[in-house]
Amino acid sequence: MSDFLQYLVAGLAVGCGFALLASGLVAVHRVTHVVNFAQGMFAVVAGLTAGSLLSAGLPHGAAELLAVLVAGAVGLLVGLIATGKPGTSAQSALIVTLGVGFVAYAVEIMIWGDNPRSHPGLRGSVQIADAYVQKQSFLVIGVTAVVFTLLGLFFTRTYLGKAFTACASNPYAARAVGIDVTRMGLIAFALGGMLGGAAGVLLTPLLPISYNSDVLLITSGFAAAILGGLTRPGLALVGALILGVAESMVAGYLDASYQTVVALLLMLAIMIWQASQRTSLTEEAAR
Amino acid sequence: MNESVLVLLLLSAIVVTGLSMLMGYAGQVSLGQASFTMIGAYTAALIATHGRPTWLGLLAAPFVATAAAALIGIPLLRLRGHRLAFATLAVQLVLLSVVGQQAWTGGDIGLQGIPLLNIGGYEFSGDRPYIYLALAALLLVVLITRNVVASRPGRGLRALATSEVAAESSGVPVATYKLVVFSLSAGFAGLAGGIYAFYIGYVSPGSFPVLLSFEYVVMVVVGGAGTIWGALAGATAITLLLQWLNDLGTREGMPASAPAVLSYAVYGVLLILVVLFLPRGLVPSATSWWARHVRWPRRRTSEPADTPSTAPKEMHYEPN
Repeated sequence: MSDFLQYLVAGLAVGCGFALLASGLVAVHRVTHVVNFAQGMFAVVAGLTAGSLLSAGLPHGAAELLAVLVAGAVGLLVGLIATGKPGTSAQSALIVTLGVGFVAYAVEIMIWGDNPRSHPGLRGSVQIADAYVQKQSFLVIGVTAVVFTLLGLFFTRTYLGKAFTACASNPYAARAVGIDVTRMGLIAFALGGMLGGAAGVLLTPLLPISYNSDVLLITSGFAAAILGGLTRPGLALVGALILGVAESMVAGYLDASYQTVVALLLMLAIMIWQASQRTSLTEEAAR
Repeated sequence: MNESVLVLLLLSAIVVTGLSMLMGYAGQVSLGQASFTMIGAYTAALIATHGRPTWLGLLAAPFVATAAAALIGIPLLRLRGHRLAFATLAVQLVLLSVVGQQAWTGGDIGLQGIPLLNIGGYEFSGDRPYIYLALAALLLVVLITRNVVASRPGRGLRALATSEVAAESSGVPVATYKLVVFSLSAGFAGLAGGIYAFYIGYVSPGSFPVLLSFEYVVMVVVGGAGTIWGALAGATAITLLLQWLNDLGTREGMPASAPAVLSYAVYGVLLILVVLFLPRGLVPSATSWWARHVRWPRRRTSEPADTPSTAPKEMHYEPN
């Protein structure tokens, strides 16, 4: 029982990290219809930056916040490259973000080298029943809850958030009422960068990252987001939590080396099930 | 040029020709093409290290890869666009993880001591025979591709890349054609993998990273998807560029990380620039430029309809 509780909380924490990544993907995809392959890279950049800032003597909190802002700036830059040129199709933009990922590899290796790095988070653990749970796990869960609440308020209560939804549902109509769709796309990329960055600074103390961790991070984020069809942040959160807990349970009870396999097979199953619910006619009509 | 670079270049060209057909004709992006190279290489290696004749291994490599792709393709090809891209990437990650843990595949260490390829008493050793072998394989692959794309199924494929609904309603068996082209491109990758296994002498999961799949996509995009010459040009250009960057990075006075940094940076920048500014790839852009400016300079003003469209969907097969 104590094992179960321990795995559950650890899984929820990792799942929350995936949820932040996934919500970044959703934010960008809703507005621009681009699947941002560089989403995992934001987490890597923020995680590594936070580590460097901490070792440079910045206090906890400030270092993490600054790292998230750096990731936001990187997100804006990626958005400019991927969607800044008029007439870039969503499919081309996916390949462009893949290219951006390569450039990021070069920069990351140059600055931080190619070994996995980690930085200390909240130390110590809490005892619940017989289980010891890392405090950092609770921090991740708490921060994610706050971020998702804020995101919900942002999308439903603010002008900018509503403009986002307008762009997502009908870009033409949004433009007609005076919303700058391109600028909204760029803001979405910056937001995606910050969300990915938040995932990075929160997860790095739990799982060390290196420059090429982005492939697994983006696949996990995509797996979570695909449950909500890349458009619904709420379902992405559910998907991410299921994924995190499933990975943690598999690692705990079966074999740690099978955890990514299970997650990936889950993603494939979801996508194939979703595809059986639609025909190519509905898909082409939606384009 | 180094002879071993030439072998690897030709092997990449074999894979890229198939992927180019898949991306340019069927309009599907595979981010996991190296999984089929890996299946081919492991098939050849397993057969050869278990005392069976090596030519059987080479022969089995493309067939096993084709069969695997057909099996995976049935559920997977219901997906399109970015979903298929991620699904193929997921397949490769699963494969890498599973192969890295099985005892009969040698785990993370892989299979070593693969005997030299022996066909009818002739033993392939050194670089030169493998150059000819890879060249022959490339010729075969190019010939098959040419015949496929210039046939009725080829036109059907081009139609389904534009609109599956329109193609289906005109009588193109969309699902079958997609599966066939997916399996065929996997078979090419498997063939390249088989030759690779005998040439290098060992295979391990580390020889077929996800980055290798991305590299194939870069080659296709840079050369121009949907053209045979584009695939060959893309594979050549990227291989030579990487080789040159590697030489540059390992010169004296360069830091140890220089080769990796240089190649990633140039890769990324090249991919971004080509997708944004030459969306049809180097070869189609160059041939249409040649046609407009050199061969028929007057047609440029009189026939505006002749100017190439920038839409990546409309990639055409150019016989020369």
